Amino acid sequence: MIAENTTQAFQWTYNENDQEFALQGSLRPQKPEELSNCISALEQSVAKVSGKFYVNVRRLVRMNNVAFQAIACKILDLVRARADLDVQVTTSSVVGWATRKFAVLETMSDKITVSEYDSEFYPGQSFVEDSEFIHVLRTQTKLTWRHEKELLHKHGLRPGMQVADICCGIGDFAVLLQKEFSPDRLVALDHSRSSLDYARQVAADFGIRGIDYVFGDAADMLLEDDQFDFVTCRHSLQVFDRPELILKELFRICKPGGRVYVTNEKNSHCLGEPRGESIQWTYNEVARLWHHFDMDIEIGPKSRRLLLEGGFEDVSIGSFMVTSADGDPQGFADIIASWKNLFAGKMAKERGDDPAFIERFAKGFDDHIFAALHPKGYAGWPIWVASGRKPQ
Amino acid sequence: MLQMDLDIGDFCSNWSHCDLLSAYLARMVSHNRLDSLLFSNLYSSALNELLETVFRVHGASGKLECSVRRQGGLDRIELVFPADEDIFRVYREAIDKLSGENAEKLYLEALFTEGQPDASLGLLELGVDYGARLTIDRVGNDRMCLVAELTLEDENE
Repeated sequence: MIAENTTQAFQWTYNENDQEFALQGSLRPQKPEELSNCISALEQSVAKVSGKFYVNVRRLVRMNNVAFQAIACKILDLVRARADLDVQVTTSSVVGWATRKFAVLETMSDKITVSEYDSEFYPGQSFVEDSEFIHVLRTQTKLTWRHEKELLHKHGLRPGMQVADICCGIGDFAVLLQKEFSPDRLVALDHSRSSLDYARQVAADFGIRGIDYVFGDAADMLLEDDQFDFVTCRHSLQVFDRPELILKELFRICKPGGRVYVTNEKNSHCLGEPRGESIQWTYNEVARLWHHFDMDIEIGPKSRRLLLEGGFEDVSIGSFMVTSADGDPQGFADIIASWKNLFAGKMAKERGDDPAFIERFAKGFDDHIFAALHPKGYAGWPIWVASGRKPQ
Repeated sequence: MLQMDLDIGDFCSNWSHCDLLSAYLARMVSHNRLDSLLFSNLYSSALNELLETVFRVHGASGKLECSVRRQGGLDRIELVFPADEDIFRVYREAIDKLSGENAEKLYLEALFTEGQPDASLGLLELGVDYGARLTIDRVGNDRMCLVAELTLEDENE
């Protein structure tokens, strides 16, 4: 439902299935009466509920005290009047004031809990935030950049554009973009504070200015609509359980006529010789492992469909292969070694795999490294690149 | 430093001016921050509460001068607007509440009062929740100055 008779742009929805009342937008009314429809909807929603009732304010970007007072007092009234009811308020860490402000509700009633949503949305975040993973991320970017530098031109990136790098991670790709393409504006957004700290430090150490590193949720960005000529999102749709939500946001912040550029993998297509069979087996298992954690490491070739279904036009897709023959076999081997540590280490253990499986699983990575470093060997890691234009 | 001057009557002709002005200024001053989006969102919230307070409690006629400046991690918002002694007293009482030991309790009381929010609520929130330093002063006989000094980003984060 969209608010009427008010200058405030906000909406509310009720999801009966999840017993969740969600508020979003900007909520700064002059008088509480302006919220009467919304409050009525809240009352009607909660009337059918017993047990836990969720109030979701993750996408509530602005809220003044008039609105807070009206909503908060209503929530307090509800839990006081209904012995069978508990309320869980869900905020977002991306909206600076929200958690602090709503947290006071917990001091008013032990039947109200307030928590920050976020981490659960990113199944892979706890794995890739590990500081030891930074080295391999930097090596990955180094090896992919030699291909992407040319591909970015082909996909329409030009100097002087307004560019956003969403899910920028440790920010090294943004630094390369800044050096190579001198964008007029470059916003690099990620959901990991530690990665952003690292990115800011690297930019400062290298004397790189002009990159605006910002904390944000790629599925719920505070960035305004239609701002960027070129939006990149690399190796990231594959770590989200609902990539279409991210694409929707990429579409939203892209200017009409601008392009969204995504890169993704299909890990089961990693290859190597000698010992190709063992390598193939392991990477097929990698795909299953990621699937277990609600991530799709096979998304690469599906990028075209995702972009077309996301409303993009003039969709272009291709692939390139990072290989051990690119001139840095040791760098390639380092990447595989880190995958082995992550996939056959933390992730397999967390899935509860038995030691025999883990041993065979790890061997495929060792064989991939063997192929990469073998004088007559060859090892590859394929990546799909796709971009689409937002209609004018 | 940025300064915007407008007639208090024009400003108060439409409630949405508080939102528009705070969002606009927040965007203007959010560059070169640790995190421009987070900063802008917080700054807009703080400034909006100040503007909404002035919208509700101000003197009859004259200019509203809104100036913002930055010194390192400290942001200073200065609002000068028409105010007779009665108006000035409302602000002084709110600031006095903040200087007492039970400021947080008074803030929560004001926050959960039934009906229209108390005029001091926005100032209490800034003092208690945002850790702002608030000061007021007279400017001539019929105007007053409200200053909020805020540190919205922790440079050590």
